[in-house]
Amino acid sequence: MVKIYINDREIEVKEGTTVFHAALDAGIPIPHFCYHPAFAPEGTCRMCLVEVEGMPKLELACSLQIREGMKIFTQNERVREARRGVLEFLLAEHPLDCPICDQAGDCKLQDYYEEYGLFDSRFSEVKDKRGKKIRLGKYLLHDQERCVLCRRCVRFLREVTGTGEMGVFERGGHTKVDTYEEGQQVDNNYSGNLAQLCPVGAITDTDFRFQTRSWFLEAGESICPLCSRGCRITIQAHRGFARFKLPKRVYRIKAVDDPLVNGPWICDKGRYGYSYLDENRATRILKKGESSPDWQEAIDWLSASILRLKHRNRLERVSVVLSSRLSNEELFLAKKLFKDDLGVGRVFFADAPPEEGDDMLLTPDRVPNTRGARELGWEDVPVDMEALNRETDLLLMFGPDFENAHSLSDILGCFEQIETTVLLTPFDGSLSSQVDLLLPTTPVAEKAGSLTNIDGVLRNFQPALPALGHSRAEWSLLIDLGKALDLRFQYYSRLSSPEAVFQEMTGEIPFFEKNVE
Amino acid sequence: MSPEFSEQTKKAIAEIVARYPKKEAALLPVLHAAQREFGYISRATEKSVAGLLEISPAKVHEVVTFYTMYNRQPVGRYHVQICSNLSCSLLGAGSLIDHLSEKLGIQPGETTPDQKFTFSLVQCLGACEQAPCMMVNFEYFGNLDTPKIDEILDNLE
Repeated sequence: MVKIYINDREIEVKEGTTVFHAALDAGIPIPHFCYHPAFAPEGTCRMCLVEVEGMPKLELACSLQIREGMKIFTQNERVREARRGVLEFLLAEHPLDCPICDQAGDCKLQDYYEEYGLFDSRFSEVKDKRGKKIRLGKYLLHDQERCVLCRRCVRFLREVTGTGEMGVFERGGHTKVDTYEEGQQVDNNYSGNLAQLCPVGAITDTDFRFQTRSWFLEAGESICPLCSRGCRITIQAHRGFARFKLPKRVYRIKAVDDPLVNGPWICDKGRYGYSYLDENRATRILKKGESSPDWQEAIDWLSASILRLKHRNRLERVSVVLSSRLSNEELFLAKKLFKDDLGVGRVFFADAPPEEGDDMLLTPDRVPNTRGARELGWEDVPVDMEALNRETDLLLMFGPDFENAHSLSDILGCFEQIETTVLLTPFDGSLSSQVDLLLPTTPVAEKAGSLTNIDGVLRNFQPALPALGHSRAEWSLLIDLGKALDLRFQYYSRLSSPEAVFQEMTGEIPFFEKNVE
Repeated sequence: MSPEFSEQTKKAIAEIVARYPKKEAALLPVLHAAQREFGYISRATEKSVAGLLEISPAKVHEVVTFYTMYNRQPVGRYHVQICSNLSCSLLGAGSLIDHLSEKLGIQPGETTPDQKFTFSLVQCLGACEQAPCMMVNFEYFGNLDTPKIDEILDNLE
């Protein structure tokens, strides 16, 4: 450890760290455009200048390593004047179209001008015209006039994807970021990271263009459930207005840095594939096609159906179709309830079919918790249609993927042979109106729990959005069903939250014990 | 079609690359070698160099567009570069530039239709002691006046 002073405050920091990180750790953020923790310090934007006692010129906080006894000043008049100068030059060529810029509210240039700038323009020269609304990729637009030349996009394409489509061309006042070929497109599955990396409005998302203003959005952290990587994300949703109904809640998704899982990036599938959170959702309980808001009644009805079979010693004629979309806690509760307590005849898994992954984050699994299911001791048994046809009186299906694995006529054929069919799913599908009981449930974004990713990394999540309509999380339904069946009332009453279920899991399954966050 | 380097240039490039710990570091001298061969750096040349040094063409283009001494358009057999910076201007470069422009019949930055001359204005040539000065290809000419310029240009094939 080394002792340094920042703004006359004594601070102990690790040797070898930079002034930027030492200050950040001490709660003193230093303004910057080009520095990003994913890349080596670049030192091009000059925004992070600080004064160091004994050094004649201002120094770059992002690249200067700390030394014992260093006295650093991040807010004195000389430093503020330098930052004002940097901003004045950046704004000399900036279009100031904040009122129609999607980055407004999230923009570092805006924020820093507010904090350090606030000058009247001294430029009487006409601003250079540069490219605007340049299509940069399927999801991206490029505005060269708003650019501050931080090179984050250029570095991302060279160092992370290795595709190198962009560069900083020409020099001096004519410098611009551009693609190498005119009209060249960034078309890899990670292109959306460019919009998130851009500190200003130079690279923006097409799907977010003119949709809403960022200050209306509330961000909630969650985990992307679209493959088994389980990237950490924030879901940015609009709460709506009192007198004006919005067509949706979720406007965008951004990556959250998780070094063990996704680093600072997410793929375009996860970033732009959020429409499932608002579209085609199952939001109402449907019993024999009739809508009913009464959860207790629905659960009592289900438990009565199961108990009838139990009393006739026909529990082996209960089949359950589970989903790897369920959380660790839910798959654990399913095991307790269906295997240990009821001993149902068959448990299958129906998951979205694997697709091609890539060599960065996207995995072939298109469900989030295949690894968690394995660690909990579930085997991936595909649905045996023959068993459903001949040996099933009650079928309990979780998740939306079963109906895609088989033809609808085959499934409906089975349903004719089965006394009671129950579907628990967040999504409206072709089976919604065909089952005896439809219970609307929540996707990962609307519940709490944990998932185990493909590499065995365990991550907790909390609801990022409120549950839609009448939908409820599967973990709470399983607990209520456990209580209603009255097999081990005490046990299920004790498990009142995902945290309590997790506690129970760690005691029973060593994998989860060693993985406690 | 990417331009083929001659055997001689290929050998020169191999020698240059061998001098550096990383291939990328050889970019500037390799571009000079390419320019010696083709007279300018085309997009196709950028791509060949990028392939040779295992970097993206965008990176090569960054360097080519940053440094003014890489020609991005074909130049004539004789590239006349006259200094327009302070010392030369104080000693009459302005009228020499007008004279050159009139004599060659082209504006700065242009090439004569017969591809004989390209005429460029440059900043300091680093030879203020013989201002006003100019370069024709790699040869320096200093202490210029109109008759001297006429003599130099008239003697060129």
